[in-house]
Amino acid sequence: MKSTFYIFLNYVLIFVLFFILIFPSPIRAQRFNHSNYSGGGKPAGGAPAQNFNRPSTSPAMSRPSQPPVQTRPTQPAESHVSPPQNQQYRATINGGSYNNNHDYNRTANQNVAAARPPVNTHQEVTVRQNVTVHENVNVYHNHYQPAHAYVYHPYHPYYWGHNWHPIGFVAAALATDAIVLSAANHQYYYDEGVYYQPAPGGYSVVPAPIGAIVSSLPPGSETTMVGNDYYYYYGGTFYVNTGNSFQVVNAPFGAVITQIPDGAVQQDINGETFLVYNNTYYQPISQDGQDAYQVVQVN
Amino acid sequence: MNRKLFFGLLICLVFNAGLYAQKTNIDTVAVAILDRMSHMIGDLNSCHVTVKSNYDIQSQHLGLVKHSDEEQLYMEGPDKLLIRATGDRGDRNIFYNGQSLSYFSVETNRYSTIALLAPIVEMIDTVHKLYNIDFPAADFFYPTFVDDLLSESQYLIYLGMTKVDGKDCFHIAGKMPDKTFQFWVSDDGLNLPLKMVIVYTSREMSPQYEAVLSDWQLNPVFPPALFEFTIPPKAKTIKLIKAPTKK
Repeated sequence: MKSTFYIFLNYVLIFVLFFILIFPSPIRAQRFNHSNYSGGGKPAGGAPAQNFNRPSTSPAMSRPSQPPVQTRPTQPAESHVSPPQNQQYRATINGGSYNNNHDYNRTANQNVAAARPPVNTHQEVTVRQNVTVHENVNVYHNHYQPAHAYVYHPYHPYYWGHNWHPIGFVAAALATDAIVLSAANHQYYYDEGVYYQPAPGGYSVVPAPIGAIVSSLPPGSETTMVGNDYYYYYGGTFYVNTGNSFQVVNAPFGAVITQIPDGAVQQDINGETFLVYNNTYYQPISQDGQDAYQVVQVN
Repeated sequence: MNRKLFFGLLICLVFNAGLYAQKTNIDTVAVAILDRMSHMIGDLNSCHVTVKSNYDIQSQHLGLVKHSDEEQLYMEGPDKLLIRATGDRGDRNIFYNGQSLSYFSVETNRYSTIALLAPIVEMIDTVHKLYNIDFPAADFFYPTFVDDLLSESQYLIYLGMTKVDGKDCFHIAGKMPDKTFQFWVSDDGLNLPLKMVIVYTSREMSPQYEAVLSDWQLNPVFPPALFEFTIPPKAKTIKLIKAPTKK
């Protein structure tokens, strides 16, 4: 009776081992389909340059037959598997990469293309085609300001102090030292990083007019670098330093800032939540362990 | 009524075709980096790498449960491989000396040997197809790795620079119809893969697979005996059963 039990247990163990071998976890197997791999070594000759707009095809394989090799199993072979006919194979671990020659759409030597991808020059337009993240969101990145991975964090509207007000806020009166400035044939009042225009009941906060020049920024502005250029950010507005003054500019793609003012709207794009403020899309990211946002372009 | 239905279906088809047509975005920088990585691996005569993997197994009551394995890979071209694996699936070794492959379960002291004459990747591919036996991080070692990605990827994007274990890396992400994936490729001239993550978006609860590749040793010299399987005392044999043919 006892021996019968052990025999049964033995069979169970073998069955379990079979099961593990035959049905490994479905996500543990070769995780990508290797449809282009048909075994064997590197094909002779270069494959044609690949067009990224279509699926690649298997490279043409030259499969010279290999001289017969004596099989001398040193261990008891319980079964024999006949793999695809082998051919001349480089003595490397995989016979050498034979991916198609991919067209990087450049005239430079392709061998150096990947050493350090140039992504900070205007030439990138010709080098990196159709670079799109999150389907419709183009991300600008360069050596100094790389694209950050999407890291969601809740949106907490930020206020830059008592004198700062979000777009749409109506002030009954302005400070006496508010500066009058004009941009694009419109007159504005500027005070402590906030732009106003006359409105019923007082003065309404409006988006900063592009091109407007102010002599100084309030304390609390932050500096962000995009490419080789410094930008200044305060109250949802980006500036460049023009010498003795600061000029309002469009939000530069790739700029990383830490706060977004009240008034931003969350928008889901393919399952990821972006913030839209003053027609600019901000992607939640994490920089040095801190919550931050990066300006991205949405087509 | 039928005419309306016909035109409705036609509009849906055209709309869907348009959606699919615009859903392929391949970043040439990402392709260049992966090509470089693939060429680098393809030029290795031998290597050792440690693969630490975490993967989700779906539990009926607990949802996704994380498991982990650690595998030591020793490869010598063209046809020698040793995998020493430990972890949640037990201790097991795979020996391949270019003539036969031996699977040895340390815990059960059972082994199986099959005669097989093929280069490493061809062996991996054959054994995987026939017996569903998987090999850690094997994808990187396929010589057609980049072409295989491009064949199915709707997106392949270079995201920027980041770090893995303190090393500067190119971060690349992509999307296929049934999964998303990410690769971290070292920015040290060797451009070796340091990490990969796959999220199986089409499966229930979207299980993930993550592998960190470390301790790369390039072109080391291994003693031939490393790849030879010696039957342990009292070890018993098992027979590998072929996996069902995929339709």
